[in-house]
Amino acid sequence: MKFLRVNMTTQTVQWEDVPKKYSTLGGRALTSIVVNSEVPATTDPLGNENKLIFAPGYFTGTTLVNTGRLSVGAKSPLTGGIKESNVGGTVGFSLAKLGIKAIIVEGKAADESSFVLNIEDEEVATLVRSDELKGMRTYAVAEKLHAKFGESKSVTCIGPAGDFQLLSASIQSTDLDGRPCRAAGRGGLGAVMGSKGLKAIVVDRTGRVSEEMANLERFKQASKAYAKDVKADEFSGEILPELGTAVLVEPINAAGAFPTNNARMGQFKGVEKLNGETMAKLIKERGGKTKHKGCSQCIIDCSNEFVTEKGEYVTSSLEYETIWSMGGMIGNDNLDAIARLDFLCDDIGLDTMNTGVAIAVAFDAGYGEFGDAEVAIRLVEEVAAGTKMGMLIGNGPDAVGIHFNHDRVPTVKGQSIAAYDPRAIQGMAVTYATTPMGADHTAGWVVDQNLEAFGGTVEPHGPKGQVEISRNTQIHMAAVDTVGICDFAQSGLATDEGIGNVFTMMSAKSGLSFGEKNWAELGKTVIKVELEFNRKAGLTNKDDRLPLMFYNEPLPPYNVVVKVSDKDMDSTFDY
Amino acid sequence: MKALVRLYGTLPEHYPDNYPDGGLEVEIWENISVAELVELVQVAREHVAIVSINGMLSKADDVIPDGAQVKFFQSITGG
Ligand code: SF4
Repeated sequence: MKFLRVNMTTQTVQWEDVPKKYSTLGGRALTSIVVNSEVPATTDPLGNENKLIFAPGYFTGTTLVNTGRLSVGAKSPLTGGIKESNVGGTVGFSLAKLGIKAIIVEGKAADESSFVLNIEDEEVATLVRSDELKGMRTYAVAEKLHAKFGESKSVTCIGPAGDFQLLSASIQSTDLDGRPCRAAGRGGLGAVMGSKGLKAIVVDRTGRVSEEMANLERFKQASKAYAKDVKADEFSGEILPELGTAVLVEPINAAGAFPTNNARMGQFKGVEKLNGETMAKLIKERGGKTKHKGCSQCIIDCSNEFVTEKGEYVTSSLEYETIWSMGGMIGNDNLDAIARLDFLCDDIGLDTMNTGVAIAVAFDAGYGEFGDAEVAIRLVEEVAAGTKMGMLIGNGPDAVGIHFNHDRVPTVKGQSIAAYDPRAIQGMAVTYATTPMGADHTAGWVVDQNLEAFGGTVEPHGPKGQVEISRNTQIHMAAVDTVGICDFAQSGLATDEGIGNVFTMMSAKSGLSFGEKNWAELGKTVIKVELEFNRKAGLTNKDDRLPLMFYNEPLPPYNVVVKVSDKDMDSTFDY
Repeated sequence: MKALVRLYGTLPEHYPDNYPDGGLEVEIWENISVAELVELVQVAREHVAIVSINGMLSKADDVIPDGAQVKFFQSITGG
């Protein structure tokens, strides 16, 4: 396996052997460790010294299902701390099959110039000057690059938001149909890519480099057993293909945890118009697709293709978080408008969550009205047009809050919360506040423990046990993001036997013995490195706090506030 | 006494009969609990993880009031 180091200042690329200490790492562990060791923590995230790292998971490229993840890491211009955001599609698998363990992009091209990194095969990668793509939207970029380099190539790119270096800019990547609809959305990593003058990365998809594997037979056996568990599980084998993640709308709303009208309420009265059941029915009636495969090696097919009444493509994939951020959070119950907003965010290269919440804050501050989907669509279009209001929306909720002098801004470290109100599911309060990533649901999703088994194995409205479950889940997720297993395929590791299969695969690939202790160590090391970077960057435990609205405003219908104390929050990573 | 039971996710497929779109009108008795209602509807309990009564989350031993709208949800995973 190789590192591909790309210097944007000199426009040179260099293949390097992977240092031995990194050989058993991948994904988030690799991006975070490289950022922590190579990027000065106090540097300007949009400056010359920041580095943008792309790393497939440790299992990506192997026979294990649902491992097509690519981690992207850098110092985040949004949070001021370290960032890892991961994306599916085809790019992670393709890079791994070319024997590329990581791409490290450093330096900065001269202003106004724009480049495409074309990775032709396992030995040849070139930077191609492409100023004509600057400012172009992602669907057009993908089309141009497919025409130029080949229809089957994987394209990972930024849109106008990334070119403008806006703080909500995403990095978009093509799915199996070649559409740039998969997003490394969070943390403004698209702005980092834009600051470097890197518009896109084109990756050949025909690589055949076989993975380094100490015991292939053993790995294959465990990966087969893992796949069987994923298929047999009700959620990943039956529910997700049918309804996608949108199935979460109703139960989260019932839990009063569906932030509505900028988190003024926990239930949305228009919920039946945008729940997963309604969405799936509408898609089927119109001839769109549910059970759509979005990523390499996927056997779940949680994706979908949303179409108009006439059956014309609108977007893929319409997911829970966006149905929330562009739906309930802005008071909009029009599924067609949500789908349009989802497409626009992908096309302009914006995080749907940060953008929806930015609009929600604007509405809350009196700019427009909750439920006005037309204004929301106009605001997102304005990002691409580069208007003053567009720049504010593209820079996220904090920028909007400052502009309107409005303090109801549901962010942590500048990043918006996701589709779970921390008052109604208090374990999410801990995760949002303490993860080194800024408010991030995937870093420690503890919704199941708070709601399932008829009302939760922990009391969702109380602090008891929440720090512990968030801590354990965050450590576990840091390891999951390192091996590159899709969140939704975690059913394969939910049992002792299942996680045992993961340990077997770790050991079969690395040739080292690996068990439960090593798994926890891996997760802890990743978080430790990330916290270390954040401390060096100047973040303190004062940054590990939720905004006051979550402590002061009881959330209807349960009228709860966050009760986890600061002291308890600060003990999250005492290990 | 009656309750309207609505099945979400892929639960309609686990209902032994044809599930009507608008939900199931079920005859209930005084002090019937959530757990008893799940049994009455004949959806295997392991398929039901979350239940709401009139829009509010409920526990297994909560009592169903007359005329309640009850929603059954499956186990969820997220991220
Ligand atoms: S389950 Fe969804 S997100 Fe995960 S690999 Fe499959 S299509 Fe991608």
